[in-house]
Amino acid sequence: MKKLNLSLLVAVIAAAVYLSTLAPGTMQALQGKFVSVLAPFLRTGSAVQEQFGSMGKELKTLDELDAENRKLSEQNRVLLATNNLLREIEAENNRLRFSIEYRERSVFKLLPARIISRDASTWWNTVRINRGFENGVETDQPVLTEIGLVGKTTTVTKNEAIVVLITDETCRVAAKVEGTREQGIVSGKRLQESGTAGELHLNFLTKNASLEPGQKVYTAGVSGGVFPSGILVGSVREFRTRPLDGQAVVEPAVDPAQTEDVFVVVGAK
Amino acid sequence: MKAGLGLAATCAGVFFALLLQQALPAVTALHGARFVFVPLIFCLAALALPFPLMLGAALFTGFLCDLMYLHVVGGRVELALGCSIVFFVIYGSVANGLRPYYLQGRWWPLVPLAGGGTTAYLLLQFAMISLRRDGFDFDSALLWRALAPGFLAAGFAPLLYAGVKLAGSLLPEDFSLERRY
Repeated sequence: MKKLNLSLLVAVIAAAVYLSTLAPGTMQALQGKFVSVLAPFLRTGSAVQEQFGSMGKELKTLDELDAENRKLSEQNRVLLATNNLLREIEAENNRLRFSIEYRERSVFKLLPARIISRDASTWWNTVRINRGFENGVETDQPVLTEIGLVGKTTTVTKNEAIVVLITDETCRVAAKVEGTREQGIVSGKRLQESGTAGELHLNFLTKNASLEPGQKVYTAGVSGGVFPSGILVGSVREFRTRPLDGQAVVEPAVDPAQTEDVFVVVGAK
Repeated sequence: MKAGLGLAATCAGVFFALLLQQALPAVTALHGARFVFVPLIFCLAALALPFPLMLGAALFTGFLCDLMYLHVVGGRVELALGCSIVFFVIYGSVANGLRPYYLQGRWWPLVPLAGGGTTAYLLLQFAMISLRRDGFDFDSALLWRALAPGFLAAGFAPLLYAGVKLAGSLLPEDFSLERRY
């Protein structure tokens, strides 16, 4: 190998080693700057992704609508379409009204945000929201909806933030089961099945815990933790006994794939 | 100068491949596998560029990939910056070894290299994540998510080659693919 090639090879490897020794905060700052640069492209990409993603749904809906249309062929189609549109607007209106009411009655200071893209990597469950440090968002702040917990912020840029979802294995939440004294740690699976709401595991329960399917799981709110107490995480689907502890399979309360609007807990009222 | 243009084109290609990957949704029918185009673009560059420029491309590609997929939760880094650079240097060195065949106009090395490199990159990511967490957790979805992007990349490889070849034929003689490098 030529001396020049060898020197360059050593230089590149040295650069890689140097980068790997940077502090996590510095890495996140670098990532934040990179994401900020990419933001306009990524927003366009998200819109394209939404279009691609909705293609399948629209096809499915068309099938359903086709059957429905045959059944309702005698009715006026234009009138029906208008009616459907109005219902959609009404549903959205109700949902937003509920969100505003939730925000007003919440004991937390909630910052409304919108999910602008989802799951851009193979191994992690993350979404990006349209709020950043300019809006008061910081790293490790809980993200939730009026239904329940969504996740927490990780890398925060000027106008955007990455949210790691509770369905990700790295997002661990201290949780308790309603009506019992059982407490444990909720985390997601390493590989969640695509196209589903996901599955959570509530670990470190007592082996003889008597949990019933449908029991609600709430955040426990340990001191010094990220998540305040009392936020709905999900409901118990089944309970398994393991050699050292008990494990409950929990169905998440919030399906991130169906969620558009979230709140970031930026402090207490 | 011409090789420099090749490097610039590679950097631009990698950048847009990253954006395209972001834009395309996961394929539910393939258990959530995603389109991964960056190793394919890099592989073509590693076959075409001289070794020093391939190293430059590896540095750029690895750095961008690491920034894009950096995952820090609770102050803990899953894949540190620099990991992908090392991967792309090794991957590029292997591909660069087959450069003489490529310059003779043989496109076939691109197919297994692109497919294998894409799968190897994803498996490396998964292995590093597993080492950082509670150990290995095998699941059938793992094979789908690592192998399917590899097959997709291998399938797209001839198309990319044909596209680059076509672009080369539209340029003046001095810029054609074989003459450039």
